[in-house]
Amino acid sequence: MTVDTVDVEWADPAPIPVRSKEVRRLGRVIIRFAGDSGDGMQLTGDRFTSETASFGNDLSTLPNFPAEIRAPAGTLPGVSSFQLHFADHDILTPGDAPDVLVAMNPAALKANIADVPRGGEVIVNTDEFAKRAMAKVGYDVSPLEDGSLDGYRVHPVPLTTLTVEALKEFGLSRKEAERSKNMFALGLLSWMYHRPTEGTETFLRSKFAKRPQIAEANITAFRAGWNFGETTEDFAVSYEIAPATAAFAPGVYRNISGNLALSYGLIAASRQAGLPLYLGSYPITPASDILHELSRHKNFGVRTFQAEDEIAGIGAALGAAFGGALAVTTTSGPGVALKSETIGLAVSLELPLVVVDIQRGGPSTGLPTKTEQADLLQAMYGRNGEAPVPVVAPRTPADCFDAALDAARIALAYRTPVFLLSDGYLANGSEPWRIPDTAELPDLTTPFATGPNHTLADGTEVFWPYKRDPDTLARPWAVPGTAGLEHRIGGIEKQDGTGNISYDPANHEHMVRTRQAKIDNIAVPDLTVDDPDGARLLVLGWGSTYGPITAAVRRLRTEGLPVAQAHLRHLNPFPANLGAVLAAYDRIVIPEMNLGQLTSLIRARYLVDARAHTQVNGMPFKAEQLATVLKEALHD
Amino acid sequence: MAYVIAQPCIDVKDRACIDECPVDCIYEGPRKLYIHPDECVDCGACEPVCPVEAVFYDEDVPAEWSGYRTADAEIFELLGSSGGAAGTGPLETDHPVVAASPAGQLQT
Amino acid sequence: MTDTQTAPTPAPAPLSLVPAAQARQSAKDFKSDQEVRWCPGCGDYAVLAAVQGFMPTLGLARENIVFVSGIGCSSRFPYYMNTYGMHSIHGRAPAIATGLATSRQDLSVWVVTGDGDALSIGGNHLIHALRRNVNLKILLFNNRIYGLTKGQYSPTSETGKLTKSSPMGSLEAPFNPVSLALGAEASFVARTVDSDRKHLTDVLQQAALHPGTALVEIYQNCNIFNDGAFEVLKDRDQAAEAVIRLEHGQPIRFGTDHHKGVVRDPATGDLHVVEAAGNEDRILTHDAHATHPTTAFALSRLADPDTLHHTPIGVFRSIQRPVYDTQMTHQLDTATQQHGPGDLTTLLTGNDTWTVAG
Repeated sequence: MTVDTVDVEWADPAPIPVRSKEVRRLGRVIIRFAGDSGDGMQLTGDRFTSETASFGNDLSTLPNFPAEIRAPAGTLPGVSSFQLHFADHDILTPGDAPDVLVAMNPAALKANIADVPRGGEVIVNTDEFAKRAMAKVGYDVSPLEDGSLDGYRVHPVPLTTLTVEALKEFGLSRKEAERSKNMFALGLLSWMYHRPTEGTETFLRSKFAKRPQIAEANITAFRAGWNFGETTEDFAVSYEIAPATAAFAPGVYRNISGNLALSYGLIAASRQAGLPLYLGSYPITPASDILHELSRHKNFGVRTFQAEDEIAGIGAALGAAFGGALAVTTTSGPGVALKSETIGLAVSLELPLVVVDIQRGGPSTGLPTKTEQADLLQAMYGRNGEAPVPVVAPRTPADCFDAALDAARIALAYRTPVFLLSDGYLANGSEPWRIPDTAELPDLTTPFATGPNHTLADGTEVFWPYKRDPDTLARPWAVPGTAGLEHRIGGIEKQDGTGNISYDPANHEHMVRTRQAKIDNIAVPDLTVDDPDGARLLVLGWGSTYGPITAAVRRLRTEGLPVAQAHLRHLNPFPANLGAVLAAYDRIVIPEMNLGQLTSLIRARYLVDARAHTQVNGMPFKAEQLATVLKEALHD
Repeated sequence: MAYVIAQPCIDVKDRACIDECPVDCIYEGPRKLYIHPDECVDCGACEPVCPVEAVFYDEDVPAEWSGYRTADAEIFELLGSSGGAAGTGPLETDHPVVAASPAGQLQT
Repeated sequence: MTDTQTAPTPAPAPLSLVPAAQARQSAKDFKSDQEVRWCPGCGDYAVLAAVQGFMPTLGLARENIVFVSGIGCSSRFPYYMNTYGMHSIHGRAPAIATGLATSRQDLSVWVVTGDGDALSIGGNHLIHALRRNVNLKILLFNNRIYGLTKGQYSPTSETGKLTKSSPMGSLEAPFNPVSLALGAEASFVARTVDSDRKHLTDVLQQAALHPGTALVEIYQNCNIFNDGAFEVLKDRDQAAEAVIRLEHGQPIRFGTDHHKGVVRDPATGDLHVVEAAGNEDRILTHDAHATHPTTAFALSRLADPDTLHHTPIGVFRSIQRPVYDTQMTHQLDTATQQHGPGDLTTLLTGNDTWTVAG
């Protein structure tokens, strides 16, 4: 998440941490904050992430929250969690299993404890373990007392009571004071892992700038949590995780989520193209953040239009594209289904349009807040007629920036709608990002048509809206307001060149094949293969599986097992060398968060025996499980 | 540009076209019907209903009747646009090319 | 975060942002080279001729005029206009035109649609365009039938209508497009008839000059599948008694020698047709600029839906309210004034960075 910084007067300087206890060094830690939807776990996770990022660790995050805004309090469906993996070296995933679980209530404990290996640390808010709250999630006896947590290092902490106690000077109601318990927990964890605290205090002052008393109460709770760790005997040790200096190339870094990076990529593309950005969108999880973010940047000339429905969202974008804007629509799978007819129109009109699909669990409404990669075939084929559309997929949250620029490049250069397929995991997950030098961003300048482009037999100079560039097969982009280039376009088949309506069979055949050829000929870079050991097994992926696949591949290589890895950014067209890459390996495994959609495309196109490894549980792959699958593939 | 009525209409004046015209732009002269070029919307409804095939798109008038290409336009140059034939009533005179024409097909 | 309350901006003088034509234009300049392919006798020809005839009077650069349509017979319209144009997909023209109009204030954007396109498959887009008051001029060709799909009942067909898809009579109650538009907060609503060139032209002129969305319902004859649907309003003998011509500031009287008038029942607020003689004091004066749409709505309900007797035509409502695209541009300007023009490096850098030294 992003926060505007507002200059605030410091109430009093932050205390200088004085440490008296044992400090141990760790290479990496995975923490999961879990609580009720209303407990502020996402905010807590975001703050811990920001502290960690500014400290210089490498990190990767996995927010996981229910579709309901406020599911019934204290129930299992209402549990919201935020997992953060941070390290003194380069890491790729939010981690398989948490080392530390912070459970703010019985539901959070019940929903998450199975993921924590024995020996892990569990910090429990004991205040919430009343009989009724435990009964709600099926605990007849307190798990804190029945021995079921034996083998875990349990820290029972009355977080609510301690928070209320710490805030008694503020004259807040108990209910108001209790709301700061997440900041108490954040303070405690910040002490445990030596996180810097200034950023959070600045953040709180800014967030509650209009309610300074609430800002101070939260800061007080945050400091009380820190002091609690320092003074309580239960917490004997704190941990240091050194900055991941070696993992990062020199540069200026920030932490960034996928949807934010994607939004910035679109703004950057607009600047690089010299065209105003126009977003037509209808709110949908998990894509709405992009609508929110772009709506904040009107001083970049960005126009955002919240439409009456998904169809109007893309319709307005297409209208703006006709007018010469860099046009974008953002949605998720159900919205793509509604937009399909208009995407087909954009294919026929041959106008630039970026269609952003932040995939979520399907079919139908499915799992709105969970991740999946099951819209690939919808993006490839989900239209009537032969309607090819390029498909671009980012691989990590920060990569959404580059992928957005790439999608805009293809849309503009080839005058075509382009799918940008992100997913819920990339959208909400975050990682450090080396901020690019804006002078080095690609040039996306796309000239409009300015005059006649064709000479008739009698010597008359005319404008033909479908006379194509011989290299790209793109038609000219003539925008209204250009005198002499008045023309009419539509979804009816048109004669190549003139653009006039044509029902001629031979012309239709020519146009269908030409539209296909235009997409097939799009310039995409060759696929690079990471294969240091001359492996026989290739693991091929696309989109957000990059992190877990790479982590799994590293594990195998650490064990001396050779495995090659390649990851596709372009799903349509495929890189020209993909067939040769596939032919070079005996075995190909494709992990996908669907039932094997890329695998189907690969098998059909290249006639190779690629095998899918699939998972559709709404969560990203775990590196360890993938490593096991790859090992089995090696030994088949 | 508009549809015009040529020689075959003379002394026939079947009037099927008047019933068909959606914008009431076909006026009756003493010997021939006339299409008002500013009121005609080029819809073509009159052409197929003419029993003597007298209605042509002006560019398509056969060479033998080329004088009729402009006759309808010329007759209205004085009259201007009246806003409908029904309210105006019959024209008092014919275009010279019509007046000079020998008797057409006699109505029986 | 700073919240900016955008004050309503006065709409610019209508069409002032659209460049003027360099030279005098004629109807011929607005005819494209495409052969018109409606059925002979179709009312669409009359509307096309009227639009081509009146466009030059606006004096706008032809290249800054765009016609956007959906699907249906009337939606072929853009092909015949020598302007920019888009023949899009069924029902979506208002959405597409909204994107164009909100991104390009220098364009005069027209939507051509029909009763099926605008009121059935595209009903949602129509009402939201009207509600937002985007700078669009919407010509709704209402022939009360589906023509291009060969004669099924439409959302404006009368109940009981016999068609191929309703051999025992349509079970549906029709929409009244003027009532619908008024209910959708339209700032300009008018009705006219395809064959009345003068009235049609006059209404189009007023629509063109209206800042915001203008909806013009055009009663249009489909001589193939619903011939004579509006005959009572066109026939010389019947029209005088059937048609009520609304003129702003004039008493609402009609009939031969204006012997009838429209009065309000003080008890219910309903409108009634009465003999004018003896009721002169009670006859309503038409006020298209009335703040409240109540009387305009009552006028829209005056016609008998089956016989079309007492059908008002003309401008029902024409009021000034903030125009969406003007407001949108104003927000962009305000943001730029407050924060300066966007700087990409500053944006990408944000507030929370760290540096890794080389």
